[in-house]
Amino acid sequence: MFVTGLALVLVWCLIALVAPWLATHDPYAIDFVATLKPPGAAHWFGTDNVGRDTYSRVVYGSRLALYIGLLGVIAPLVIGMTVGLTAGYFGGWVDTIAMRLVDITVPFPFFVLVLSIVAVLGPGIENYFIALALVGWVGYARLARSEAMVLRQAEFVLAARTMGFSHRYILLRHILPNALSPIVVYVMTDVTLVILFGAALGFLGMGVSPPAAEWGVMIAEGQSYISTAWWISFFPGLAMVLIGVGFALIGDGLARMLRIER
Amino acid sequence: MTPLLKVCDLSVRFGQTVAVDGVTFDLARGAALGIVGESGSGKSVTCRALMRLLPPATNISGSVEFEGRDLLNLSEPELNTIRGKRIAMIFQSPASHLDPLMRIGEQVAEALVEHTDLKGRAVWEEVLRLLDVVRIPDPDRCARAYPHQLSGGMKQRAMIAGALACQPDLLLADEPTTALDATVQKSVLDLLAQLRREQNLSMIFVSHDLGAVARVCDDLLVMRRAKLVERGPVTRVIDAPQHEYTKQLIASHPDRLASRQVAAVSQGAPLLEAQGIQIRYGGKSLADVLTGREGGFVAVKHADFVVRPGETLGIVGESGSGKTTLARSLVGLVKPHKGEVLFDGAPADPSGRGRVAYLRDVQLIYQHPYEALSPRLTVQAAIAEPLRRHRLCPAAEVLRRVAELMAQVDLAPDLAKRLPGQLSGGQCQRVAIARALAFNPRVLIADEVTSALDVTLQAQVMDLLLKLQKERGLTMVFISHDLAVIRRLCNSVIVMRAGEIVEAGPTASVFDAPQQAYTRALIDAIPHLHGDAA
Amino acid sequence: MRLLQAVPVLFGVSIITFALMVATPGDPIRLLVGDHASPETVAALRDQYGLDAPIHVQYLKYITNLATGDLGKSLRYRVPVSQLIAQHYPVTLFLVLYTIVLTLPPVFALSVWSAKRQNGPADQIIRLLGVLGLAVPVFWLALLLARFFGVTLGWFPVSGFGATIPAHFLHLFLPALSTMIWVVPILVRTLRSALLDEMNRDYVLTGMAKGLGERQIFRKHILPNSILPTLNLFAVIVAYLLGGSVIVETVYAVPGMGKLMVESILARDYFVVQGATLVFAMTTILVMLAVDVVSALIDPRVTP
Repeated sequence: MFVTGLALVLVWCLIALVAPWLATHDPYAIDFVATLKPPGAAHWFGTDNVGRDTYSRVVYGSRLALYIGLLGVIAPLVIGMTVGLTAGYFGGWVDTIAMRLVDITVPFPFFVLVLSIVAVLGPGIENYFIALALVGWVGYARLARSEAMVLRQAEFVLAARTMGFSHRYILLRHILPNALSPIVVYVMTDVTLVILFGAALGFLGMGVSPPAAEWGVMIAEGQSYISTAWWISFFPGLAMVLIGVGFALIGDGLARMLRIER
Repeated sequence: MTPLLKVCDLSVRFGQTVAVDGVTFDLARGAALGIVGESGSGKSVTCRALMRLLPPATNISGSVEFEGRDLLNLSEPELNTIRGKRIAMIFQSPASHLDPLMRIGEQVAEALVEHTDLKGRAVWEEVLRLLDVVRIPDPDRCARAYPHQLSGGMKQRAMIAGALACQPDLLLADEPTTALDATVQKSVLDLLAQLRREQNLSMIFVSHDLGAVARVCDDLLVMRRAKLVERGPVTRVIDAPQHEYTKQLIASHPDRLASRQVAAVSQGAPLLEAQGIQIRYGGKSLADVLTGREGGFVAVKHADFVVRPGETLGIVGESGSGKTTLARSLVGLVKPHKGEVLFDGAPADPSGRGRVAYLRDVQLIYQHPYEALSPRLTVQAAIAEPLRRHRLCPAAEVLRRVAELMAQVDLAPDLAKRLPGQLSGGQCQRVAIARALAFNPRVLIADEVTSALDVTLQAQVMDLLLKLQKERGLTMVFISHDLAVIRRLCNSVIVMRAGEIVEAGPTASVFDAPQQAYTRALIDAIPHLHGDAA
Repeated sequence: MRLLQAVPVLFGVSIITFALMVATPGDPIRLLVGDHASPETVAALRDQYGLDAPIHVQYLKYITNLATGDLGKSLRYRVPVSQLIAQHYPVTLFLVLYTIVLTLPPVFALSVWSAKRQNGPADQIIRLLGVLGLAVPVFWLALLLARFFGVTLGWFPVSGFGATIPAHFLHLFLPALSTMIWVVPILVRTLRSALLDEMNRDYVLTGMAKGLGERQIFRKHILPNSILPTLNLFAVIVAYLLGGSVIVETVYAVPGMGKLMVESILARDYFVVQGATLVFAMTTILVMLAVDVVSALIDPRVTP
């Protein structure tokens, strides 16, 4: 399972890298002669209402999806891990403040909060990244904190303290490496979600703006033609499933290998 | 008379691992058989295999005949008419073996409802009677309580009550007293011995503790590495062991270890001194401020003691007595609320300024050998860590010094590259000791360092500590719940109970002429090889 | 006691929505009254919403307005936001409850099935479906379901809410199904691992030693103990469902809070967006409180 996931993700990375060679058409080339053509020899995944080649657009879309997924988790990961590990390790007022901050973010449905922040900042991926940084760290912080709280009581950490090592050293050398595995698993799930929500924003018209070859945008463009030209929406969605399954399988496999989950 | 239970060539395998290898024994009606062995010897697995309480994938072979029926060949429903009704079982940790969401009374009643015709009111009456049989005060209240509301000893009694519910012929007891404090342990053992007499109960008692087995049983099986190595009447095995391993096991028992030539308490100036230490956890809540209470939970109420150079001070007490908290305050892991620690005559602040310098002189060794070492550092890296971080020796000499320290604690050099998970408990504890010695400390505080180890390893670690003390003139503070260990190692001793020091003095006088009833109870509870067997 | 703990959370939540408002670019009053309003009107409104005051006074004003149920006015519809929410909230509530009702039976069945034979073929398949469920974009799935069940087969309506209660059930079936496919895997994963944890607990051994049958041990001991961790997830799930409603309501044109929110964002109707966000958060807080109360009822170790 893990290997399948890894293979899927690697294939996608490869597709994104060599997209210009894989694409059969210019993803933005409008062709009013060949609109709404069903999948066939000329257009493998058919064409949309202005005659753009769906296959080429799906291939190019992988670049945006990976860019959003991989970049989008960095800020939440770094912020959340720093907050969570320090809060869990030190406890006391540091912990109290961090957890109150977490408490007030938890009641907001994640997607709703991201939406409202994007609403304030305006549409676009950069604003989506900002929204993720503001909201997404909470999950990482909770996870890292609970790990750190257990490790803080572990005798080898106590031993490091009674050996007179500094807190910074203990956090980096003893807490962080031992807290990492569940966080890595979470990252994999999170990449899937960040790609999904990014596409959902595109779908709702608040993410990447058209005419970009972004899967969410493409699904939205095909929405009005769903009963006559299903392929416009179908293929980008299938691509999303395949990339999401790749990351989710890696996470699932890691969780088993690291014995986080049975 | 045909035996009640006839076990023939019992073997248990988990995949490739052989946990029990060809064990054969009989148990006569009314007899009590003890199975002793160290961890991993297969004693618990043997006990569970009798009732097929092992994971489904386990391979069990041989035969277990109970009144002529082979339990290993019965179908699950047939077996369930015997489990709990004819053969009952009690386990090591009563806390985890009771369902936290169900009242004690209902859990005791479960077997009654399953195996008898009693209904409603009658079940409850019977539950109350059973709780009374196991000497639970106020059975009515206890029956309504949830497990978390009872103490460990009470929970174990409730488990026993549940096991006795259908008046079984055979009781299997798997380390039933191991998780309990010494005094509670003794009372549970006494209860089991008494139940045996009163109810003519046959019993199989599994334990790592020879003393505990000697208190209840008349016959003994000794297991080692999945095999039965010796059998016979308890007194015979203890007095005249035949197998090499049994001899070693018995020689390692604190009763048999040569008691040390306790040096006269030295009269030098105190090296480490605690003055009026008070430790509390948790702060004041608003309600505490308003009512003027001190607030929080007081772990140590008031502790004074002195340790002189070259001396070993023992601190004994049961769980919750505050002994570990007190030890941790000496190395700055816990900050005392009141009082102070003096080192070499000068006030020291183990958790504040100057702690790094102070900790070079005072080192603590922890209880759990595996947990005290970072799982990701090799033996070499773990011992080298303080040497490098604190530049205790020139960088070029670190590895040579690590090898030297490993030799001092009798660790083979080829273990240097291993991770803690690849070592035995005793080896891990040696690594932890070597790591503390890297500082060249003047005081070594040992917090229950032997309690997680098997007796033979326990004896070895104790010998190592004694050797190191002699070679290096170390001063030691030795914390333990095990009085036998304390008696062997310490010059003087303090006895703690619920955060207070109840008695203190030279070891010999505290043990031979205890002034407090509590100390006397603790001493009486030490399991001896020649127990006042029932 | 729990209620008291919710108070600071409520304040925190109001600070977040207030911050969203403050961070909004442009002058909300200008947006509210349009470009042709007289300066007097603008000044009066600025005063009404306290926009010229220092930030903490503005917040106080915001809170007092909230306390009286005043969430501001919709720029598009020229009606109070609270009125819009009153219209749309019941629809979303209906959808969420409907989804929960549809979700629970498969969650229980699949988790129990999967946990009983750990790593058996059923477990593997359910696990794979879980991974798939995590990766499927809800809006895409919703579109496909609408096309297949709505257009091709014509079994269900693909938009709107319907006028009568039976019509509600019919109209919301596809939206509920789309959300369900997304939520079931998450819940199954949690309940399955809770079940596995509990199956390996020591008290199960005690039950076996007492001669209780497998079924009885499962029903009386394992199941109650597994419910607790799943219950704690429930609040999170409601939050997920509310988030999901934003997407499915848009796809299926269901006149609920989610659709209101998306339309308001696109129309820059800020007060409505803020109000809706706040209501979403309040709903989750209420569910969390309810979960706490229920946990305290089940678990004797928790004091309410």
